Amino acid sequence: MKPLTLRRLLLQCSILCVILFLVVVVALKFGAVPVSLYALGRDLLRVLFGQSSQISSDYGLIIVNIRLPRILLGMIVGASLSVAGTSFQALLRNPLADPYVLGVSSGASLGAILALIVEPHLSLSPLFAALLTPLGAFLGATATIAAVYFLGRREGQIDSTTLLLGGVITGSFLSAIILFLMSTLTGSLRGLSFWMMGELSTPLQKSVYWFLGVGFLLAAGAIYTTASDLNLLLAGEQEAMHLGVDVPRVRLVVYIAASFLTGLAVSVSGAVGYVGLIVPHVMRFIFGSDHRTLLPTAAIGGAIAVIMADTLARTVVAPTEVPVGAVTAVIGAPLFIYLLRRRLA
Amino acid sequence: MKVSARQRLRFAIFATSAAWFSCAVISRSQSSPISSASPVFREVTDEVGRTVRVPQPVNRIVSLAPSLTETVYALGLQDRLVGDTDYCDYPPDAQKKTKVGGGISPSLEVIASLHPDLVLVTKSFNRLETVHSLDNLGISSYATDPHTIEEIIASSKKLSDVLGVPEAGASVAADMQHRLADLQKRLGALPPKRVLFVVWHQPLTSIGKHTFIADTLRLAGAVSIVDAEQDWPQVSLEEVARLQPDFLVFSASHSDAVAPAVDALAALPGWNIVEAVSNRRIAVISEAVNRPAPRIVSAIEDLARQLHPDAFMEKPESGKEKLQKENPAPNPPPAAHSSLPPDGAQAQMVFPGGCA
Repeated sequence: MKPLTLRRLLLQCSILCVILFLVVVVALKFGAVPVSLYALGRDLLRVLFGQSSQISSDYGLIIVNIRLPRILLGMIVGASLSVAGTSFQALLRNPLADPYVLGVSSGASLGAILALIVEPHLSLSPLFAALLTPLGAFLGATATIAAVYFLGRREGQIDSTTLLLGGVITGSFLSAIILFLMSTLTGSLRGLSFWMMGELSTPLQKSVYWFLGVGFLLAAGAIYTTASDLNLLLAGEQEAMHLGVDVPRVRLVVYIAASFLTGLAVSVSGAVGYVGLIVPHVMRFIFGSDHRTLLPTAAIGGAIAVIMADTLARTVVAPTEVPVGAVTAVIGAPLFIYLLRRRLA
Repeated sequence: MKVSARQRLRFAIFATSAAWFSCAVISRSQSSPISSASPVFREVTDEVGRTVRVPQPVNRIVSLAPSLTETVYALGLQDRLVGDTDYCDYPPDAQKKTKVGGGISPSLEVIASLHPDLVLVTKSFNRLETVHSLDNLGISSYATDPHTIEEIIASSKKLSDVLGVPEAGASVAADMQHRLADLQKRLGALPPKRVLFVVWHQPLTSIGKHTFIADTLRLAGAVSIVDAEQDWPQVSLEEVARLQPDFLVFSASHSDAVAPAVDALAALPGWNIVEAVSNRRIAVISEAVNRPAPRIVSAIEDLARQLHPDAFMEKPESGKEKLQKENPAPNPPPAAHSSLPPDGAQAQMVFPGGCA
């Protein structure tokens, strides 16, 4: 492991930020309605200088009110899932861990759906009512990861294969309950494809973006404080404990924060899969497995990946849209098989 | 040394992400939905109870359901229709309109680029999220939600009023009511045929009692053997064999070749015990039956003709007279909703929903 310097980290992050910016520009340009690069550049400058009133309504509505919020949502969802995946991989010492593969996303979906069912029966203030869905998703995610963690333990040690199998089966079980609920209930619950595959197509209230952003920064920040401990945990729980790591505390902080990030992402975008698997692998391959570098680069990388996937989802069969989770799964599932085979070899 | 580097790092990460996030939020908060420039609005309540501000006049319409597209054409407003969905194929001219995608996930940006004064949605075909998204973009949308033929008529009338052509709506409604009244005279007190409406055969899916299709069957002199609360219940073959419907009813849109499909069905193990299949008592009607639009009346007439051919043997006039003599106030099929007026004069009655 090369010694970490602030300069190198900043350099790596800025390179990724430049890529992120380029991807955002591409995502802003492409869509069902053609927008010229010139008009895009002119309008973006106007937004920057606070003259958005001058934007022609033709592009203004599309770029500023449809594409930009969606890209922002994709950023937060991608970063959250990617950081959650990185954390689960470190904590479970399993490179194939991912919120979707482990069933945590399905647990979050179920929690969110239950919250949506219960909400009209409780007389809550609008603020609490709005927070109930992410809270349900968070509780669902936490309960699922706890269940999968205990399923994956054999003789006091986590067994990778049992863990993955336990996660996949738990996810399938929870999906079945979601299917059951969806086919018996009607009403204003979001569609099935949203919860099972993930979608970014619905713009949200402005306040929700604030909640998402602050929630992401707090949870990701909490995980980042354990970055060095996670590095030591890679050698094994016993070894880390001997090196002075407070393993139970790290475990608690990271599980809760990662479940929170998963719940956050799922409550606004449904179960988008494999982002937490692919992105940390790519980042580890490029920048190495030091979590002090890996966590921030995975966050930016996750944002890039989801924006790219969603741009594809919006454009491949435009004007009809594909759920973004279908795109990430088409790319992610084969990669999962590849990584699994390579690990077994 | 190590600790301070870590702290600096954490701060740097925090600051970078905070800056990135606040940039994004600021750029968003400076934008506000750009509403249509039309100065005059009219407030109406749509069929799901939302208060909708409709710009006046409504010159640019986007329809997000085939039934609404058909209704717009029936009202003679095809020139104001600027966009519709991939599934809007009737009348054929509707296929040439700008497509905004499917009804479930239309492209918001294509809708926005068409600058509609009003977007038409229907609860059974579109999603609530689409309506919320349009609201957020400052685009007015009007939702319909008819569950019976009577409500389809009322819905078309109310829509014509919202779109500023109440006379066209009144004449469409009068025509529908007139034809239905004629049909009821022909069918008179004939006992309804027991039918299974096949929405889809794999898995076997039929209709629930609260759908407008159930009402369509009633008006065509039929009654569904399935009496479910759900709108699209899955039915077991055993249950169908137990209930032995007189007819199976298919709509043509679900398969380009219904006849081979029925043959294939008869060849499947189990289906032979359904007498309607083994005896080929099958009625096939156009896809209009699936669309809550004015054209549904032709589907009702077509189905009635296939189920009760005897009622159509005589010439209409003599049949009408004969039935009127025998039964001046014909009993409609046993249905709560078939309270359509028995003759043409009363068919001009105005539904309460039509004058909003």
